[in-house]
Amino acid sequence: MNPPTPASTTSASPGAGTAETTGAPAGPPLEIDDIQGGALYERPSPYVGTYLLLQIHDPADGRELIRRLLPLLEPGPASAAPRSGAWLTVAFTYEGLRVLGVPEESLDSFAPEFREGMAARAAELGDVGASSPELWEKPLGTRDVHVALAALAPDAADLESVVARARHAQEEIPGVEVIWRQDCYQLPTGRTSFGFKDGIGQPAVEGVGTPTTNRGEPPIKAGEFILGYPDETGGLAPMPTPEVLGRNGTYIVFRKLHTRVAAFRQYLRDKARTREEEALLGAKMVGRWQSGAPLVLSPDEDDPELGSDAGRNNDFGYTSDLRGFKCPAGAHARRANPRDSLDHEMSVDVRLHRMIRRGTSYGPMLPDGVLEDDGEDRGIIFVFAGAHLKRQFEFVKTQWLNDGIFIGAPAEKDPLVGATDGSGAFTIPQHPIRRRLPDVPPFVVTRGGEYCFAPGLRALRWLAELPED
Amino acid sequence: MGSDTSSRPGVSVGPTSEFSLFFHVKPGHGEALHQALRDLQDAPGYRPGDYEMPIASIHEARFVPFDDDTRLLFATSFDGPWDAYMEDFASKPLKLFDSIFQHVVGYEGLPSLQAVKDFILNAQQTAGGYARNYGGTVKQIRKAITVNDAFQEVLDDPGAADALQHPALRPLLDVAAD
Ligand code: HEM
Repeated sequence: MNPPTPASTTSASPGAGTAETTGAPAGPPLEIDDIQGGALYERPSPYVGTYLLLQIHDPADGRELIRRLLPLLEPGPASAAPRSGAWLTVAFTYEGLRVLGVPEESLDSFAPEFREGMAARAAELGDVGASSPELWEKPLGTRDVHVALAALAPDAADLESVVARARHAQEEIPGVEVIWRQDCYQLPTGRTSFGFKDGIGQPAVEGVGTPTTNRGEPPIKAGEFILGYPDETGGLAPMPTPEVLGRNGTYIVFRKLHTRVAAFRQYLRDKARTREEEALLGAKMVGRWQSGAPLVLSPDEDDPELGSDAGRNNDFGYTSDLRGFKCPAGAHARRANPRDSLDHEMSVDVRLHRMIRRGTSYGPMLPDGVLEDDGEDRGIIFVFAGAHLKRQFEFVKTQWLNDGIFIGAPAEKDPLVGATDGSGAFTIPQHPIRRRLPDVPPFVVTRGGEYCFAPGLRALRWLAELPED
Repeated sequence: MGSDTSSRPGVSVGPTSEFSLFFHVKPGHGEALHQALRDLQDAPGYRPGDYEMPIASIHEARFVPFDDDTRLLFATSFDGPWDAYMEDFASKPLKLFDSIFQHVVGYEGLPSLQAVKDFILNAQQTAGGYARNYGGTVKQIRKAITVNDAFQEVLDDPGAADALQHPALRPLLDVAAD
């Protein structure tokens, strides 16, 4: 076992190795020491980082890479100063596991969507038109992508020294090639390219000890996010075999999403009479003000103090606002997590469709006030962690973001990220008459992405020791 | 069988898909099944004249015992692709029909999600024909009814004819004559 890592100052200590239970009789205690830290624990903000995609030309070198990475992976809450200089997370595509020599029956035991890969799911996910895989940035969506490595560090100098060492190490294992690098960062404000603070709405996970920020949502069973534990259905999520490979792993969705920030600003400018109204329309689309303050708690104007108060900015539900006068049912955050708003309809159990998000920003921010596109590539690297690609990520993307059937508006999609051809509307309930914004253009373009699997530490050791053919 | 978790939605019209399940009634449970159906018919949402079934994503619910009470058909129209909601069925809607499904083969408390999926997929048959006389989801239709009721109330007002002369109300005036 690894020694327990010191708890960061921001989160409660999970104790030595196993987490404390949060009331309910949980299943087996979470093996925190065996789970890669990045899925369960936020890295301290701000940070800078880089995503590397690697291709394995020689399986023996691939396994050597894993051996070298293992001592650098720190499970548990993020330490203030990561051992290697950066907090690392490593994950594999289906193709990557195959190339490493994972046996056929084991490969077959992974989730069908993972085996197909994200590019093959394009039609389902709405990655069509400008977002279609033929137009993706190479090598995203190709069979060349085998390993995904995320390195996040407190500052740029730390990060560069880690990357330099990684390059050096790579020279000694020539059978592994870095085929893509994407730098990313999180601003101290937590804001991303459209100007809104992101990463606030996260589920509390039972047994992990991170604080519950929405008192209306009891912690979600760990098995919804980490394989090998009971989930919200009372059963275990289907787990890849052998058990040593599947247990303590999690599926990762990784998407590079280009944001058309100038188009977004211009659209709001065109539809609004005043700057205040511009801010309001933007907030209605997102479900929160730019500061992160939720519309339900602050319907009329931004409240930066609320937005930055982690104890309050996620503590709300929608039952007092079922008709959406404060936060439209079609707003991005309300679609992506309808919270308690659908409970009385008996047709959906929101707890089955939750996700951990670990998104970061890439590209320079468009300076305030600029309405002209400057041609820069900017957006977010959307990262999902969960035990179910299909009923978590794909369900939310297809049923809630790309469709409006569930809110009684089949012709409307998510105004921020929905797969749209630009003909959809966005309805804002308000007195005396509702406002309907017509022809909401696509503001987000998929540049590519991958479905990955982030194994536990024992599983990584198992992978590193796979026999030669 | 159980391995088939891939998508197999029924025939759909607009946002709505047909969803039909054919069960085998447990031997000797015919009378109990009828009693359970009578009880359902007395429950809020299912009483004659009620229009608020607890499940908001189905247009109607029909339970038809047939073949001398050896079989049971459950037929409905579902808003959205029902296969995407399979896990949700297990957690909520199926429980509402618990007292009915107890009398059909294969419903042994549904201990696991896989059992739920098997239960549904083994019973589901895709329609050979399916058509609808109106578009829209349950939510849209309820809204449309509310709006029409309000409109009829407006028309009952002696001042309605004058008020509807305003150019902005032209589309309403166009449908106000009958
Ligand atoms: C460029 C694309 C996207 C942008 C700019 C974006 C932005 C945001 C913002 C500003 C929030 C509100 C802050 C918060 O609650 O954390 C949010 C919340 C959220 N987003 Fe996104 N998002 C994007 C794509 C997606 C996608 C593709 C998904 C899922 C498939 C998603 C799922 C969520 C979820 C689950 C929440 C939390 C809702 C809550 O718990 O209240 N987002 N997003």
